[in-house]
Amino acid sequence: MRNLYVFGNEFLEEDRKARELSSMLEGFNVVHCRSPDELLECEEDEILILDVVSGIKKPMIITDIEQIKTTKMLSLHDFDLGFFLKLMKEMGMDKKIKILGIPPSGDLKKIKEEIKVMT
Amino acid sequence: MSKTITLNHITKIEGHASLSLGIKNDKVTKCELSATEGSRYFEGIVKGRRYYEAHEMTSRICGVCSCAHVVAAISAVENAFGYKPSKQTKQLRELMTLGERIRSHATHLYFLALPDYVGYGSALAMAKKYRKELQNALNLMKCGNGIIKLLGARELHPVSATVGGWLKIPKEKEIENVKKTLISVREDALKTFSLFSSLNYPEFETESVMFSLVDKNKYSVLDGTFSSGNMKTTKKKYREHIKEYQVPHSNANFVTYDNYQYQVGAMARINNNKKQLHNKAKKLLNKSKIKFPSKNPYTNNFAQAVELVHCIEEAIKLCDSLNLKEEKLDKLKVKAGTGIGCIEVPRGTLWHEYTLDKKGIITNANIITPTAQNLFSVQEDIKELVPSIIKKKKKDIIMDIEKLIRSYDPCFSCSAHFLEVKWV
Repeated sequence: MRNLYVFGNEFLEEDRKARELSSMLEGFNVVHCRSPDELLECEEDEILILDVVSGIKKPMIITDIEQIKTTKMLSLHDFDLGFFLKLMKEMGMDKKIKILGIPPSGDLKKIKEEIKVMT
Repeated sequence: MSKTITLNHITKIEGHASLSLGIKNDKVTKCELSATEGSRYFEGIVKGRRYYEAHEMTSRICGVCSCAHVVAAISAVENAFGYKPSKQTKQLRELMTLGERIRSHATHLYFLALPDYVGYGSALAMAKKYRKELQNALNLMKCGNGIIKLLGARELHPVSATVGGWLKIPKEKEIENVKKTLISVREDALKTFSLFSSLNYPEFETESVMFSLVDKNKYSVLDGTFSSGNMKTTKKKYREHIKEYQVPHSNANFVTYDNYQYQVGAMARINNNKKQLHNKAKKLLNKSKIKFPSKNPYTNNFAQAVELVHCIEEAIKLCDSLNLKEEKLDKLKVKAGTGIGCIEVPRGTLWHEYTLDKKGIITNANIITPTAQNLFSVQEDIKELVPSIIKKKKKDIIMDIEKLIRSYDPCFSCSAHFLEVKWV
């Protein structure tokens, strides 16, 4: 079964959508991540991530991490997923990244169906 | 000739800070370092809450040092009740605290401080050229994270540490794995030491008093008396010496020790406790071209690298000495009183003080973070530094000032960006 790395803060309504959705998805071994550096453990060639993407209304697949908007790392608090993925790339870590991005709001059942079609 | 430098946002520090500097005839006429972070009212938030909630709530002061606030708050509450935790509980608290220091130092050194010294604006920009170095950082961070995750049950805002004991005792096998990871990053710590001992730190000396916990038998983490220069005193008397005061230009309190500026953190700790460092760290330090005691605040980053070596060795020692057994939480005798928790955390000495009523409700709280204690020192250092660099180019002056501020590894608890530099 393929690993699905799920990000998001369960205490924040908009951010926890990915966690909620992951419990509805079938066919994945769900790994809840609290810190992006957990991705260093991944052994697969392509890392599949589920996360909330702000500013989108429908689920989307991101494979080009340059699409992710990141601020410079100016403090330890900026050590987020986007920064980390770009760092992995800059450091030449040879992993493909596939992000299943879902909108911060919307009906989860509908999002689940859309994700199903996309994957 | 007069000029004003306004650094509206200082980058690569934790949180919002700005600097307003006035210069006339090469003399500093105004130097105001402002923590512009909004007031967060944690001391007010915990008022009216129960004693066992303090650590859970104050942990949220900062994700980077959440373990520190947890342990300091628990220590203060237990101190108010006159309770002494078991040896095992203290060992677990210490190990978790060391894990956090490994993670914090590694991140700060490589991702925030190193770009200054190798001429890059950010860690991302230098990632291609300094791949191996950043890999060292990631290994060390992962190791620190692993310790915290095992002991605290998660990497941030740990939940296993609590008043009266430890909620989930790790298994021996798990500690064995942590030890293996620590052994595996020894080399990374040594490389970090070599790298940071090879950097060219600007020549500068501060008049700050060096302040930290001290213990003649060990490099203090959770216990000890406290020391500043030749004076040693106890935690109980801290209010006689440490004064917090407000300044109009900053949302954070400034703090003095006997009315002097003082410095906390890795450099102060090593200045005060060099003999108590682990032998391996001590030997490296003795061979280094950077000598301690040091008065140069820029060498705080080097001191953090020394502490990485020390913390890894101490954590391995702790893993070896743990003889884990299940322990029920002690039931504390709730009574009215005041307790002080004072521990050494990544950025320096952290104080938590709580007054509790007879039902264990918090009626008063006082928290003094390392950054608050360093603020006055940083500001005074900038005043001292500027005349010596005033002939440099503007961008170099700003870089030297920013580098100085970052060397203290300040944490204003949120990110910031250099939006504008205004010269008049």
